[in-house]
Formats: sequence, C-alpha cells, structure tokens
Amino acid sequence: MTRTSVQALSVARPVVRGLMVLNIVYACAIAALLAWSFFIAGWPQRPLGFDLVHAHPLAGLGLRVIVVVGVVGAAIVHTILRRLLAIIDTVRVGDPFILDNAQRLEAIAWRVLGLEGLRFIVAAIAAAVWEQGRIGAFSFAPWLAVLLLFVLAGVFAQGARMRADLEGTV
Amino acid sequence: MAILVNLDDMLHERRMTLTELAAQIDITVANLSILKTGKARAIRFSTLEAICTALACQPGDLLEFRRWNPEES
Repeated sequence: MTRTSVQALSVARPVVRGLMVLNIVYACAIAALLAWSFFIAGWPQRPLGFDLVHAHPLAGLGLRVIVVVGVVGAAIVHTILRRLLAIIDTVRVGDPFILDNAQRLEAIAWRVLGLEGLRFIVAAIAAAVWEQGRIGAFSFAPWLAVLLLFVLAGVFAQGARMRADLEGTV
Repeated sequence: MAILVNLDDMLHERRMTLTELAAQIDITVANLSILKTGKARAIRFSTLEAICTALACQPGDLLEFRRWNPEES
C-alpha cells in the first residue's frame, strides 16, 4: 500500500463517521422542518419572505413532498455510509477481497441509482408546482459513479472467487 | 474428493517426517499438513516438483484417482 492510500484509509473512517452524524442531523432537521410547517400560519410565504403560493398554488405541497423525499434520501445515504464503513473496516483488517464487499458495493450502486431516481422526482415536482427546468434533473457524474460501482462490485466478486480458489492451493 | 494424496505413505517409505520435508522444500508444515490430510483444493506444479525431488518419487506416487462413490461417504 502506498503512503497516500494509508493516509487516506486512516482519514476515511472518521470522515465517514462524521458524514453519518451530519446526515442524521440533516434528516432530523428537515423532518422537524416538515412537522413545523404544519403549525406555522401563512406557510410557506411567511418563512420565505415572499408570496410563492399566489403565483404557484401547489408550491407549499410541493415543498413538503420534496422534504419527504429528502428524508428518504437521507435514509438511503445512511445505508450507503454504513456499507462504506464496513468496507473500510475490512481494508483496515487487511481482508477486503471478500464476497461480502462485492455485495456491499452492488448494494451501494443500487442505492446511488435510487438517489438519482429521487433527484428526478424532486425535479419533476419542482417542474409541476413551480417552474420547469428550475432544478436540473440530469447530471452525468452520478450515472458514471453508478456504472463504476457496478463494475467494481463485479471486480470484487471475481477477486473474492479467485482468492477463495487460491486459499486451498498448496 | 476423488483425488487422494498419498504423502503420508511416501513419507513413511522414505522414513521422513513432515517437518523434515517442510524444511527441505521450504513450505510451511501447516500447508503440507493441508496437502497430507486431503484438504487442499489445488497443488502448484512447483510444490509437486519440490516434493518429488525431495522424496525421489513421481507425481503418480503421490496422487491417486479413485472414483468417488457417494454411498461410501
């Protein structure tokens, strides 16, 4: 292992743990915001400071649905970070080429795909209740990441099988 | 498994212990023990060559194919 990858590995665990905490705080904050929105008179124009609902009557409902999507997204991100942490732990132990990691990577790939789906949903809601094209739905990078993750999962699965074969070789 | 390893018999014939063989061919006793007990899934040609050299035998003396009968196990 190179010095850079050793340093990256030692930093990765606390960073992922920190991101998990931030993600939970974010999910709780927006869930509280959603609950709070039902008790504020004149929501959402009063907190926003301008009359959004007059021009777009469904904007209030749209914002609430987007917050719900945000909470779902945070839950998905949490499962991704947990799997990432488990993968990092196997690298630290010195045994990363196992079938479990291949399955974890594949699960992460599906979840990143799910997050992209949520982004489309948010864009569709924004287009329906607010303004078309206001929130960009397509970005090339996440799709490339999904592809990369599926390929990596395949590489890990093959690596794990090869290692299992080698284990019984004398 | 249908492939049997007769390392134990060969060692007995040559009056050699597993530890002595391991020291001669530079393979750990643990790995040779895996081979001896038939738990190995594969054997490298280099390992086979080293064992054959040390025991002055042929691969056929070490390995044997026996048709696997499920009723026997």
